[in-house]
Amino acid sequence: MPRPSPLKSLLALCALGGLLASAGLGPGLEGVAHAEEAASAGGQMPAFSLRDMNGQEWNNTQLQNKLSLVNFWATWCQPCMVEMKHLERFHKAYADQGFQVVSVSIDDARSASMVKPIVKRNGYTFNVLLDKQTQLVSQVNPAKTLPYNMLVDGLTDPSKLTVVWTHLGYTPGDEKTMEEKIKTSLAGAAP
Amino acid sequence: MRDGGLWSPRRGLVLFLGLCLGGVSQEAAAMELWGTGPLSNSSLKAHNDLEIRYWQVPDRLENFEDRDVLNYFEQVNRLNLLLSGDGLTLGATVDQVALFANRYVLDGELVHERDLYVRDDFVSPWDDSLIVAEKLWMTRTWDGVQVTVGDSYTSFGRGIALNAVKNTDIDVDTSIRGARIGVSKGDIDATLVSGLTNTQQIAQDNPNVGITAPVTDMVSGAQLTHYGLGPIQAGVHGALFRFGREPDRDLDGVARYGEGIDVSTAGVGITVPYAAGIDWYVEGDLFNYTAVELTGAEEGENLQGYAAYASASAYPGKTTVLVEAKSSKDTERITAFTSQENFELSNVPTLEYERVITEDGSAAVNSNDVHGGRVRLDYAAVPGEQVFYLATTVLRDLDTAGLHFNDSPEWVVHPIFGVQWFPDDETVVQLNAGFRRDQRDDAAEGADMLAHIDGELHLPAGHHDAIELAFAARRFFWGVNEVQQTDFTSMENALIWHRGEKLQLRLYQDFTTNELFLIQSQGNITENLFLAGELAWAPKGSSEVRVFYGAYKAGIRCAGGQCRQLPGFEGGRLSWTTQF
Repeated sequence: MPRPSPLKSLLALCALGGLLASAGLGPGLEGVAHAEEAASAGGQMPAFSLRDMNGQEWNNTQLQNKLSLVNFWATWCQPCMVEMKHLERFHKAYADQGFQVVSVSIDDARSASMVKPIVKRNGYTFNVLLDKQTQLVSQVNPAKTLPYNMLVDGLTDPSKLTVVWTHLGYTPGDEKTMEEKIKTSLAGAAP
Repeated sequence: MRDGGLWSPRRGLVLFLGLCLGGVSQEAAAMELWGTGPLSNSSLKAHNDLEIRYWQVPDRLENFEDRDVLNYFEQVNRLNLLLSGDGLTLGATVDQVALFANRYVLDGELVHERDLYVRDDFVSPWDDSLIVAEKLWMTRTWDGVQVTVGDSYTSFGRGIALNAVKNTDIDVDTSIRGARIGVSKGDIDATLVSGLTNTQQIAQDNPNVGITAPVTDMVSGAQLTHYGLGPIQAGVHGALFRFGREPDRDLDGVARYGEGIDVSTAGVGITVPYAAGIDWYVEGDLFNYTAVELTGAEEGENLQGYAAYASASAYPGKTTVLVEAKSSKDTERITAFTSQENFELSNVPTLEYERVITEDGSAAVNSNDVHGGRVRLDYAAVPGEQVFYLATTVLRDLDTAGLHFNDSPEWVVHPIFGVQWFPDDETVVQLNAGFRRDQRDDAAEGADMLAHIDGELHLPAGHHDAIELAFAARRFFWGVNEVQQTDFTSMENALIWHRGEKLQLRLYQDFTTNELFLIQSQGNITENLFLAGELAWAPKGSSEVRVFYGAYKAGIRCAGGQCRQLPGFEGGRLSWTTQF
């Protein structure tokens, strides 16, 4: 039986190590867990300027002194539609504690006319911004996979809009984790 | 014997780098970026997609009918890097691809090879692997001003005059590589963009064979929007295009700036929010073609095209009404050069349910003379939980050239019914069904007809488990045409078992009797039936490993106003996606 070449062995080791590290197993466990925490806790909301559905300008100022769930979605994204009713519930339930949902539609120009009817038909009251030219989503999630959620803490230090949690995709049940993160962040930011 | 270089050092090194990128980047993500320079308080994020595919090719070499020597491996990696700090963002998308077992050598003689790329077009130390920095950009944001140098995306109005956006649904990602300035001050928004088209070189979902470097096109445009004109928001926009020709391949892309303009577009868009209880939008755009390849006329004779689009939405009680209308003539000509590279820089809203467009239906999407509208009525029985809708599109397509199968103009009528119901936190019911009829003016040509249904059902199955069923079926009836084809049925179904939050077992089943598709792909169970299984494991929310084996069918897919023929697949895939 031929011996595997050193390169093959190195390749196999790297592939296995990478998969295990990604899975949070093996010696990389602490480092990976730390990496996830650091990535979540270390990032800041990039500077942005977008218009909402009525043409009002929004920028980082409106996220200060609030805990904001920034939700990226599109009218053609079915999981986004399922997730939205939970966002509306959170927006109403925690508003008095300084929480808000800022949803950002990344529908391109062609489907922009669909955005407001979808929001209206479902009676959503949270803020809806339009990122038709994908200026903001490109800065936070270049892969543009949807839905994408960022929890931005503008309560602890309003001058620093810290991203405390991010989540990609939606499967029914994910809203429980989301609500837990909101509660934890509000509790942590409380004076 | 097969080429013994399956694990040749060069290709092995590339795969090694691709596999290691994820792990290395995770460390980088953990690293805080300290200092007092412009990168202080910055964070680094990465998203990596790795896939290794084993392509089982049904074709056989002459005299080698008993050997599957054309099967090969393809490994693709995409790394998105994002460094963001105080007002500064640096981004990069780096793609890498390698082929393995892509040569068949018999008795020292090369019998068959599958070239990854055209060597004259790329500088690469490897014959069968390629690394390309697909996108590079730097964005600096000041108070209301955003300047991007490198790759950016831009669309004006409803995307008619200019629509340079990413279209991941059909694996198309063309940016404008140059400079983009966006200003948002008070009631004024302004955008200026100029650069050369930068198409995606390495396909993420499609096979990479014979990659050629594209000839770049020059795009420059500007848009100015005023949001404070009383109750009106008004914008003007325009764009200039100079397309590269094949003989220009050796010229530097910057040369496009010194050449004459092929097409110029200009338009006006007006929004009137909630006037008399209705949200209004109206846009008009003009196209001026000067290139003989686009006008089809003599040198010096220009051709004009136009597009108009309007929408009005009202929200009485639990009902939402959206009415859209469009009229376009000679707007698709602008895609003549870029469609060869599988992208478009201008799109008029299709007003169609793009998910069910067939080869025949794509003609109306790409029509140069189409007019009509769509009315959609939504009734929210329980807002956010139970919504019923009815939509009807009516188009008059006067174009009979290009992709059209009909010789006389036609009426397209397409009613669709749908429901969206979320009875509890874990149950999802979504359904869409419709019938499209393309009635030709010449009764002898008859009508093409399409009946379709698709939906999704997500049900709890106890102990944090869930069952998901996604289905789509179509039955197409051809009218009379020169390349008469037989009516066909096609289906794409999936059954997914969600085991807790981390594990999913997916079964896919495709079926088609479409002979045109069968030219490109054949079922792995029967000639018409395709079956595949996939195991997806997401140990953390930020990473997922997927193992796939089986086959799916080829077909046309339309998204974002653009259609593309996508090949089928048979074989195995190992995918690993991670974000940190």
